[in-house]
Amino acid sequence: MPHQCVRCDTMYDDGSQEILKGCHCGARLFFYIKKELLQSSKEELVVNLTIEQKEELETDVLDLLGQQQPDTPVVLDLEAIRVLKPGKYELDLVHLFRGDPLIFKLADGKYIIDVPEMFSRLKKK
Amino acid sequence: MMNFLLSLKNSLKRLLRGRSSLVIGLYGPPNAGKTTLANKICKDWIGEEMGTVSPIAHETREVKVKEKVCIKTETGKELMFNLIDTPGIATRIDYEDFMKAGLPEAKAKKRAKEATKGVIEAIKWLDDVDTVVVVIDATQDPYSQVNVTIIGNLAARNIPVLIIGNKVDLKRASLKRVKAAFPQYAVVGISAKYGTNMNDFYEALAKVTE
Repeated sequence: MPHQCVRCDTMYDDGSQEILKGCHCGARLFFYIKKELLQSSKEELVVNLTIEQKEELETDVLDLLGQQQPDTPVVLDLEAIRVLKPGKYELDLVHLFRGDPLIFKLADGKYIIDVPEMFSRLKKK
Repeated sequence: MMNFLLSLKNSLKRLLRGRSSLVIGLYGPPNAGKTTLANKICKDWIGEEMGTVSPIAHETREVKVKEKVCIKTETGKELMFNLIDTPGIATRIDYEDFMKAGLPEAKAKKRAKEATKGVIEAIKWLDDVDTVVVVIDATQDPYSQVNVTIIGNLAARNIPVLIIGNKVDLKRASLKRVKAAFPQYAVVGISAKYGTNMNDFYEALAKVTE
């Protein structure tokens, strides 16, 4: 059964040394996830949305980011928030707590990134 | 010794940020009773409430600040701080849950969007808090991904934590379960709604911020 480090997101199997000694990042708290649940959490996004729903979904995310003009979506591999359909969100708290760039996954291969927010964080650092 | 160093570090952090006041944040999953607790604290010491509460989750969708809350414990400790009430942190926000609770679709979708934004804001505010009170619903399983992730990340940031097991007035509540889940933290059981055990809470708060 996998154990998720709640600080850096690394997964460890049962009996791993790290679960007893602590993760390589220094954290000692792990969230235990049943294998079948981990599998279902990685299932593909819902794709059978209508054009209106897809537009609504994009408008919602851009609204959340405080942008008026829709930008060209950019393809990446990591997301902090999945938007399954308008009004249905899944949030990856580890990404958010870690201060990772705010990336919304709208569909497979379709992402929106809050670039201004990312640069303001870099400036702060 | 460790607590003293942590407190010294936090004082220095506040000075570097150009402010001397202590900031205490209320964090936790939705409907755990964060705003009910914020209201109780404000009512006890300022005489006015902080926000509205609702049986529908994600009623608080914006971070709220109450400045200069001054408390005095029964043992004579005084504490002045700015209180931050944050939106509930969740891993899933679904407008259909709000519709089941009676909201029309458009309002439910709007609430879901604002709640998502609220989670992002709440986590961003962690940069500005000195101490966190994690409010957990004592009738629920404490081993949730939200609880473990919040507490694990606060530990990683060296932010002092006080855990509140709320709703102890309910039969299903088990403070024992909360204590067993987070044995390395101070845990106080209260009922924010009925004001049960608030003195113990204020004492524990004064202690954790020392």
